[in-house]
Order: sequence, then structure tokens, then C-alpha cells
Amino acid sequence: MRWAAFAALALSAAGPVSTSGHCHAIAPPGAERARLAFQLTDSSGTQLSLGDLAGRKVVVHFFATWCEPCREELPALDRLVARSRDRDLAVVAIAVAEVPVRVKRFLAQTPVAFPVLIDADRAVAKAWGVTTLPTSFVLDADLNIRLAVEQAHDWDRFDPTRLADQHSREESK
Amino acid sequence: MTLNRRDVLKASAVLPLAAAMPVAAGAQDAFAPRPGKWRAFEVVTRLEIARGQGAAQAWIPVPSVNEETWFKSGDSTWTTNGTAALVTDAKYGARFVHAEWASGDAIIEVTSRFGTQDRAIDLSSPGSATLAEAERKLYTSATALIPTDGIVRETSDKVTAGATSDLEKARRIYEWIVRNTYRKAATRGCGVGDIAALLKSGDLGGKCADLNALAVGLLRAAGIPARDVYGIRVAPSRFGYKALGAGSATITKAQHCRAEVFLAGFGWVPIDPADVRKVMLEEPPTNLALDDPKVTAARAALFGAWEDNWLAYNFAHDVMLPGAKAPVDFLMYPQAETAAGRLDCLDPDSFRYTITAKELGAA
Repeated sequence: MRWAAFAALALSAAGPVSTSGHCHAIAPPGAERARLAFQLTDSSGTQLSLGDLAGRKVVVHFFATWCEPCREELPALDRLVARSRDRDLAVVAIAVAEVPVRVKRFLAQTPVAFPVLIDADRAVAKAWGVTTLPTSFVLDADLNIRLAVEQAHDWDRFDPTRLADQHSREESK
Repeated sequence: MTLNRRDVLKASAVLPLAAAMPVAAGAQDAFAPRPGKWRAFEVVTRLEIARGQGAAQAWIPVPSVNEETWFKSGDSTWTTNGTAALVTDAKYGARFVHAEWASGDAIIEVTSRFGTQDRAIDLSSPGSATLAEAERKLYTSATALIPTDGIVRETSDKVTAGATSDLEKARRIYEWIVRNTYRKAATRGCGVGDIAALLKSGDLGGKCADLNALAVGLLRAAGIPARDVYGIRVAPSRFGYKALGAGSATITKAQHCRAEVFLAGFGWVPIDPADVRKVMLEEPPTNLALDDPKVTAARAALFGAWEDNWLAYNFAHDVMLPGAKAPVDFLMYPQAETAAGRLDCLDPDSFRYTITAKELGAA
């Protein structure tokens, strides 16, 4: 219950969730970390693992090139990166069941400044329990999931510093 | 009348597709497929991967369906400058040609023949058809993109509430899809077929791989065997429906999946709610209402019948392609991979494949 309450509080602090989105309870951290670990490549073959992002808060965003809401959400995530540059926030997008050439073509039309990895066989999406696209997770600097949002979220109203503040208050209780 | 593989291969009266087609009836005529006349077709898939991409592989679907009353797959042959072999998927029996090249231009041309006829099931007169337990289990199971729990089960329960027979449940699901979904023109290819995502989104737009997969998922969630049938349109509709046929002998982008539901006594019953929505969107003058006579005729026919202007490749989901980096959700398009990864099967111009069809006269 604590995690469900925290997720709701964090969303509230960050601004209203888009009308089509909702948050759900998150499993406790630690035990799930190994299951969530991934190492994927982008459309150019460059590898990135979740562990490479430790030490920063991370938004992990699952999407697909065919997903219409995703087309609006990726630029919003790009703006989030731009305004969070000095706040230790990383964004990584994961294209689910896509082929590299299609992702490359999509990114030529919708360029973003964060890594876009490819989960060709859905293995990572399955491990993370993703059942609909887009789905996003916000992780703390220790790579524990603090927030999950199914469907589109208004990232222009998301304030990662509030998430950290809320986290600190929770931990100090 | 029956047709065996030899009959298909012996068909010799090769006619250009247009010449072989009967004069199209006006679209105002009823859409009413009726079995009775087998037709034979030849389909040629040519695939090229340009030099400079190193080693390459391709997987090209060929006709794999053999159903006594409506479809006979003939042999498939090929020419290539690489090596190739015919492979059969162990789970569903889907067949495809697997080709490999070490380097240089990769070229393969696969020629397949098949025979088919209309289907029309008399749903007022059940027979004695039963389904083997192994098939029942296979065709009520979940696949990667067709879960049978969660929102799919909840939706199925709502749609079928109060229905007392599988026939009634199946008809309810068919009608629910016709009334509540729509054909989204912007959807790439035939759609992805992720039915849980479709339902969760609340935007029930898509194409055949979405909408007919939704029918299959809702049926399976109700415990009724159902399956997608992945294929491609090969000829115009003789009922004059432009939306329900191939517009020319080049059918590269004419892929279409249909669906079947198994009803005790009746056997596998053809359904195609996605094509009802296609008629509504695309049939001239376009954007037709549900009560338009053209839509009414298609809606009535496509629960229990379909036309013979279509090749059925296979029923397969989650196909593991030998040597591939990842499985495919379904095998309806040619697939290929190079060192750079899988090519985009929905972009046959950059991928460079073409598919052509011609009728071989009456089978």
C-alpha cells in the first residue's frame, strides 16, 4: 500500500495525470531489480544497460512507432530532458517489438536527445509487466521504481525534483 | 467438388489476372459467396536485398493451409542466388522458404500455387463436426498479443453475458466488433494485433490484424476455439466490392487476415468483421453507414461466409524463424534480416519485394 500511496502522491505533486492515463501499485524495490535489468541496443547498434544509468533518476518509457499517443509523448520527454539537464535526470525510451530501420526512420522525423533502444522480442517489456503502450516508469537514483504510468502522461507538467522531495519524506518516516 | 494438389499443379490455362476475372457485378448486388467452383492461382514473391549489407536471411511465407472444403495448398518452388529450404513451423504447420546469402546481392523468387473456393456455412443446420482436444487447446490459448485474461476476458464476459450457446456468443462478438470498432486508414500494414493495448486505449481503430485478432481474442476468452488466418487478396471481388479484392495483378500490399471460429456441429466457421468495417470506410462513395445496403450485405455474409479471391498462408502466431534475432507475431509478410537487424516488412519499396498473382483458370 505504501508504494501505491507514494505513486499517487508523486503524481499529484507532479501535476495531474492526463485523462487517459492512470498509475498503479508498484512492487517493493530490491527483489525486482535483477528482473528489471536490461541491456539493449539502439537502431545504430550502440548498447546501453539500465545499470549504466545508476546515480541519476531515470524515466524508462516504453513505446512503439505505430502508437499515436507516443508521437506526442516523445517530444515532451525530450523537453523534460532539456529542462532537467542539471538535475541528474536521464530518459531512455524502449521501442517494443520494432525493427531498427523503422525506428531509425521514425527518429529522423521525431528526433530526440535521449537513447532509444529496441526490445525486438518484447523480453524487457514482459519483464517490466508492460501490457499497453505507452507505459512509463520513473526510477530513483538506485534504480528502484517509484512511479508507473500506463498510457500517455503530460511530461511538460512533471517535476522530478518534487518526486525526490516526496521520496525523502517517505524514507524519513 | 474437391481439388487435390495435383489438380492445382496441372492447371494449365494460365490467364492474365484481369482476363481471368468474370465481369464484376455492380456493387449494389448482394455480397453472397457460395461454394461450388474451385479456382486455381499462382502467386510469385520476388525479394531483393541490395549489395553492401553483408550476410542476409529471408523468410517468405507460402500457402500452408489444407482444408477439404475450401483451400488446397500446392507446391512452392524457388530460384535464388543463395541457398534456400522449405521449413515447416512445428506448432502450427506454417510453411515458409528460408533463404540465406553470405554476401552480395540477395535475390529469391518463390512461386506458389493453390486452389480455393467460396465458403458459406448453413448456420441453421448443424452437422456432427467436432474438434480434437489438442486443437481445442491450441486455439483457445493465449498468444503474445492475444491474451485471454484481464481486459480481454472482462470485455468478452460483458459482450457474451446472457448468451446461451457458442453460436450466440460468437455472433454477439462479431456484431460488437462491427458496431464498436472502426478501420483506421493510418494504421501501417494490417496493424500490429496487440488487442489488450487496443482495448485499454479506448480507441478501437485498426485494420484486419487488429480487429479480427480482437474477435479471436474475445472468442478464446469465452472458451470458444478461434484462429486468425493470415493471407493475401489475389483477385477482385466478383461481387463488385472494390474494398474486398485485389485491384491489380500486383498484390504486394494486399495482405489480409481473416478469422475462423469453431462451432460444434458446424466446424470452422469463417468470420471477417474487419472487412465489414473496410467496406464502410472504403467502398465508394466511402464512409458508408451501417445501414447502407452494401454494408448490410457484407455484414450479413461475413459471419459464416467468405469469397475465394484470397490466399490463406497459415494460422500461426509467435513464429520462431530459424536463425532470426526475434520471433514474429504472425507470418503474413516476407521477412528479412541483415547484420543491421530485421528489415521493415511493411515497407516493400525499401525492402524491395513484390508479390504478383494470376489465375490459372478453373481448377
